[in-house]
Amino acid sequence: MEAVAEALRPVGARRAPFPHAGLIWTLVRTDFKARYHGTLGGFVWALLKPVCMFVVLMGVFSFLFASKPEYKLNLIVGLFLWDFFGEGTKSGLMSLHARGFLLSKARVPSWILVVTAISNAIITLGVFSLVIVAFLLVTGHPPTGEALFAFAMYCAALTAMVMGFSLAASVLFLRYRDLNQVWEVVLQAGFFLAPIIYPLEILPERFHFYLYLWPPTPIIEFSRSVLVRGVMPTTTGHVYLALDAISCLVAGIFIFWRLSPRAAEYL
Amino acid sequence: MPLIEVDKVSKAFRIPSVHRQTIREHLLGVLEPRRFQSLQVLDEVSMEIRRGETVGIMGRNGSGKSTLLKVICGIFLPDQGRVSTRAAITPILELGVGWNPDLDAVDNVLLVGSVMGLSIQQIRRSMDEILAFAELERFANLKLMHYSSGMSARLGYAVAFQAVREVLVLDEIFAVGDVGFRERCEERYRQLKSLGHTVIVVSHDPRIISTFCDRALLLDGGSIAMDGASADVADRYVSMLTHQSGSG
Repeated sequence: MEAVAEALRPVGARRAPFPHAGLIWTLVRTDFKARYHGTLGGFVWALLKPVCMFVVLMGVFSFLFASKPEYKLNLIVGLFLWDFFGEGTKSGLMSLHARGFLLSKARVPSWILVVTAISNAIITLGVFSLVIVAFLLVTGHPPTGEALFAFAMYCAALTAMVMGFSLAASVLFLRYRDLNQVWEVVLQAGFFLAPIIYPLEILPERFHFYLYLWPPTPIIEFSRSVLVRGVMPTTTGHVYLALDAISCLVAGIFIFWRLSPRAAEYL
Repeated sequence: MPLIEVDKVSKAFRIPSVHRQTIREHLLGVLEPRRFQSLQVLDEVSMEIRRGETVGIMGRNGSGKSTLLKVICGIFLPDQGRVSTRAAITPILELGVGWNPDLDAVDNVLLVGSVMGLSIQQIRRSMDEILAFAELERFANLKLMHYSSGMSARLGYAVAFQAVREVLVLDEIFAVGDVGFRERCEERYRQLKSLGHTVIVVSHDPRIISTFCDRALLLDGGSIAMDGASADVADRYVSMLTHQSGSG
């Protein structure tokens, strides 16, 4: 009768400092469990996809770019960041629909359902980041503290972009039920638009600006610059990146704020 | 001061002549404009519920009962009017709470209990009691996808009865389970009532409304046709149905 006793507490008499902490933790934990069957083996299985992709692409393209000694490192950085972008946006897009069983039955802060849906992608990115650093150490490119800090900031910017997209797309998906298919096509094209399997330099410089408009491109290029080449991008580049991430997040929050109050009516 | 105050709340749904749910359908239909009909589900509904009251809501199918509950629970936004709630509401809508079919009962109870505002420690402490109430101890580690609809509904009632903090909202109360389970539900309901909880009950059953509620509302065509003693409202509802079938 714990909860009944708790119920006798006057409303508003005692509020927890983080009222949604339990809900956020439970959503992250249950999402991990549902996705990976609650085992480390299931999580390792999820890591196999980008690792296999890396092995295959490296096997094929390292011959094509044999003159680029850092190709292997560039490929692993690009692939892992792309995997986070792809998985995060796909999970975020479907989040409200997938958790509609909660949204239509109780009053729940819907932003939490979206934000926690990309938690698994964030966990995977964390593991990938450790793998990347280990890979750099093994291949004789130990990153400096400054480079690691910059890389963490780039990951944060990419997370903000993914979150902004997810907030907007999750409410739009309830109205347009083929948005996930459209996004799959965009992701497929986007994989080749971002310089993941090829060095950006092989394209004429006049196209670089357009490639940088695709959000993952500056993240991937800047990360490679600090981790692989040891060169810090310009301040202008960083300002551009920050504006890019902030505008994605703000646009996503705005669309979500406008459309989410009626989300339950579209389930 | 009322615990729940519904002030001239209206809610309508726009029903299109053609449903378009995809980008493709919208693009292909850009030259064929749709007509929309407005379905007025709630029409300037006003009501007040005070602390400790047990209020029944009756009405024929489509009279707006479930929509009113969803507006009170904060799931739907009203088009016009205002809803003020001064208490935490625990709902069981449409015979259940939401479940993730890929999770077992324990994880689902943790998930739904968190949504209903319980802390993880409270849920863990109450877990055995919840499973015992639903008579599902043996199936605690079975995924919900393998549960029957009755088992899921029993688990939903067990969680909600444990999670209730101030106001309990029950849509079609005690419509699930066998006689034993219904008796346990009724017993828990009386217990909550004696502890001073506010309860809103939607039902088509005049016996339930007149037995378990102090007061009741009769909804008809999205408006409140009657607000009074539960037995009187139940009688009026029965005569409304009788009149309808007689004239039909």
